[in-house]
Amino acid sequence: MTGATRGSDVRFALLTSIVLAVFPFAFHAIDGYAGLATQILIVSIASIGFNLLLGYTGLLSYGHAMFYGGGGYVAAILLIRLMPDHPNLWLAVIGATLAATILALLVGALAVRLYGIYFALLTLAFAQMVFFIVEQAKDWTSGDDGLQSFPNALLPLGPYNVDLGTALPSVPLGPFGNLADIKLWYIFAALVLFCVLLLMRALTRSQFGEVLTAIRENEERSSLVGFNAAAYRLAAFAISGALTGLSGSLRALYDGTVAVESLGIDRSGSFVIYTIVGGVQALFGPVVGSAVIMYLESVLSAHISYWRLVEGVIFVAVIIFLPAGIVGTLSERFSGRAKSRALLVQTVRADSGK
Amino acid sequence: MTTLLETKGLGKSFGRFAANADIDFSVAQGELRAVIGPNGAGKTTFFNMLSGTTAATSGTIYFKGDDITRLSGTRRVHLGIAKAFQTANIYPEQTVRQNCRLAALAHTQGTFALEILRRSDRLTDVDTLAERAIEQLELSSVAGVRSGDLAHGDKKRLDIAIALATEPEILLLDEPVAGMSRDEARKTEALVRKLASSMTVLIIEHDMDLIMGISDSITVLEAGRVLASGTPAEIRANQRVQDAYLGGHSEAEIDG
Repeated sequence: MTGATRGSDVRFALLTSIVLAVFPFAFHAIDGYAGLATQILIVSIASIGFNLLLGYTGLLSYGHAMFYGGGGYVAAILLIRLMPDHPNLWLAVIGATLAATILALLVGALAVRLYGIYFALLTLAFAQMVFFIVEQAKDWTSGDDGLQSFPNALLPLGPYNVDLGTALPSVPLGPFGNLADIKLWYIFAALVLFCVLLLMRALTRSQFGEVLTAIRENEERSSLVGFNAAAYRLAAFAISGALTGLSGSLRALYDGTVAVESLGIDRSGSFVIYTIVGGVQALFGPVVGSAVIMYLESVLSAHISYWRLVEGVIFVAVIIFLPAGIVGTLSERFSGRAKSRALLVQTVRADSGK
Repeated sequence: MTTLLETKGLGKSFGRFAANADIDFSVAQGELRAVIGPNGAGKTTFFNMLSGTTAATSGTIYFKGDDITRLSGTRRVHLGIAKAFQTANIYPEQTVRQNCRLAALAHTQGTFALEILRRSDRLTDVDTLAERAIEQLELSSVAGVRSGDLAHGDKKRLDIAIALATEPEILLLDEPVAGMSRDEARKTEALVRKLASSMTVLIIEHDMDLIMGISDSITVLEAGRVLASGTPAEIRANQRVQDAYLGGHSEAEIDG
């Protein structure tokens, strides 16, 4: 690694930490509440995972809710069934992430040989099956009622069992609210997101990411220089599913509840919207997309009853006017390169090929 | 000379149409073999079965004596069978160097590697392989250029360089000079001749000057079957080849 890339690594880590530290307070100034900030960070992890598929692999999944909701249910069931007395957050989250990875490997083994609309439909069909199974397995999942009041998982850190629901000490911050608005949950979510961002940044620049991009650009050539394209797509699908499951489990533990809607088609669609609005192939695209849409939803749905319509209009407007998404367009402006202009087109083309 | 690549009774049918049938064929190590034939003779289908992009419907393919008929194209590349396409098949968004690096990377790492943290830019053997391929195809001056911006001839040569960066034992060239200007074609011909001195080359080509000039031996396909096999002189003199290939034109015309 050269000095220049190490310098950019440090800059990246520093800027990301500052933004994550400032975010909930700046957010307060525009009427966002701290709980929503935490949810945004958690959901961003799923969007980042989704973007590994859409942006870097060229696969549009319409079933990622199966990993998101699946992760949530597995975490909740692990707490209720296995650890009612000593609810351990690490175990619940790791168990849920592993379960999502296994589910992704199973579904992916069938799906990654398909392209475009067939891939999207197969993932959708699997997600609907998972939805149906969870809804019917009432003994374990309470069906339509969802799971509530499961044990509050504690985070074992050395000798301590940390309750992430603990608020920080009260320090008034004027227009930026109060330090006590922030619970340890926010700090934990920010740390996990930070690690996920570091991982994705490394992955997209790694040998694996290089080959993934090559396969998206020209699969026929990639196969005939000796890359197993299906294996690469399956690995990307599994990593994507794992991150989405991680996100879903954190969300369930944070909310203290998990509902069948987390497995639904709307949920799957939301990852598509967040990612494209924020920008495919931009590391921060899915994070920004999740933040913007979740914030608007929170602010607007309180005042108007047709939020879904507004969301649809935003989505269409972004596709037509900002095909590189918010982050892609901004980085184009700043770097003066029009490189990402073709990115969405390229993604979609790769997606509809064969 | 030892046989490197061999087919026995190889055939490919699309429904009732037989694109290839009963092809017995063998290439010796170090040979430069041309496959010629009129349009629609089944040359490209034959090539695709050898490279593994099309599955044979009958017969067997042997590489160094091993049956590789059911192996994927990806596996065959790792055995040492590389192909350059009729229409240059490259990564247009990547530089020429990166195109060759990807092929070299596949060769050194294998079909799959879960290297999600390590970058490839410190793999010196990848760089060595890529640079050698670039030099051999005389692309050094454009190594940093986005390959989609290359001239037609350079794209075709890059496609060969990609194949070469996988360190093949046999190189399949599907019409390497098609669509090239006279000068580009001559330059490419010289390059192919040079490559053939260090490896086995199998070439489909319509340019008769090139074929007659550089081939050690020639196989003629017609209607999906082998019509004749032999040295350029034997093929030139073969009456059946003249009848089939040029509808009975004179030897002089075949010649030039």
